[in-house]
Amino acid sequence: MPSYKLYYFHGRGRAEPARLMLAAAGLPYEDVRIEFERWPEYKPKMPMGQAPVLDVDGTMICQSVAIARFIAKESGLAGKTNMEQARADMMVDGFGDMVNKMADYVWYEPDEAKKAEKKKTFYDTTLPEFLGYFEKLLVANNGGDFFVGDGLTHADVFFLSLSDDITAEKPDVLGPYPKLAALAERIKTYPGIKEWLAKRPKTPW
Amino acid sequence: MPTYKLTCFNVRGRAELIRLLFAAGEIPYEDVRIEWDKWPELKPISDTPMGQIPTLEVDGQVICQSMAIARFVAGKAGLLGKTNMDQARADMLLDGGMDVGKLFTEMVMEKDASKKAEKKKEFGEKHLPPFLALYEGFAGDNGHFVGDSLTWSDIGFFNMMDFITAEYPGALDGYCKLNKVIDNVKSNPGVAKWLKERPVTNH
Repeated sequence: MPSYKLYYFHGRGRAEPARLMLAAAGLPYEDVRIEFERWPEYKPKMPMGQAPVLDVDGTMICQSVAIARFIAKESGLAGKTNMEQARADMMVDGFGDMVNKMADYVWYEPDEAKKAEKKKTFYDTTLPEFLGYFEKLLVANNGGDFFVGDGLTHADVFFLSLSDDITAEKPDVLGPYPKLAALAERIKTYPGIKEWLAKRPKTPW
Repeated sequence: MPTYKLTCFNVRGRAELIRLLFAAGEIPYEDVRIEWDKWPELKPISDTPMGQIPTLEVDGQVICQSMAIARFVAGKAGLLGKTNMDQARADMLLDGGMDVGKLFTEMVMEKDASKKAEKKKEFGEKHLPPFLALYEGFAGDNGHFVGDSLTWSDIGFFNMMDFITAEYPGALDGYCKLNKVIDNVKSNPGVAKWLKERPVTNH
């Protein structure tokens, strides 16, 4: 069994889907959380000078989605056919578009007024449009127990991570989307994920 | 043999990597191109999982998200990478490329002429050189990013540089291994044929 070390900061951020995936796969790993002041020591060792990074027996992979997809494939949770894998990837990319829109106002907009405006547009217009698509796509998969096929894939894990972020800002945001809300709740009880959620450090992001 | 129908705007844009992969894999597909001004009327009646194109229809099933589609076609063309680790390496290099590609696209799409000139200078001086230096390090002496054979990561890099060198012609000068990657991709028979025959578009 390879040894896994996940390097990131002390937060959920872009590493949480990988942590959730490792939990669902039942793979032990070292959850290295780097304090911001110590980042300059680590940065030159990372393939693209960024985190998260997954070290697999000395080989480093970066880019958060690539990491999570690798773990999913290693544990048979990436979709059973090429088409299932493509569907899972497409869902993950759709969720990623929402995560990037959030990052835009949370991390990259310094002007407070512009920040508030972008956040409003996100919750009033962008997110509802896409949650509508995601709800429909979920239901289209045999009623919606999972996004793809008949078992957990990285698509469900990435959705849980997005759901965590949006419900932290707007607790009732999934109200109009019953299947999405139910999926998030159900994935929280998935073996491995349930235990991780109970013990993971509580962080603001 | 499945039937493939790719629908995108009449540009290279987010579909070109997909088209290059179909070409490299010598996989026939229908290359449907929609003009910008027709999209508002077509959008409500089009089968788009997330209201966007490109989409790929495979024997009646429709998928969206250009990179998900590209990864699927790369798989069909045998260009994903041999092991899960190889595939992860290809994914990571493509994602890193997309991060820089996004900044490039923002520059190209900037409507204000003086802002665009500023962004062009910044991209060319601040973002592009470290990216190329980093990727020269990732490339093998054999002119491949992953293992010892062509993968979609080589083709993705070629495609991105195709766009970038249109704005920064000498960008790849001196990067031995990156130039080898470009040559390897261009000399793939399917790719060479597509490059000769593809519609010429501004983007």
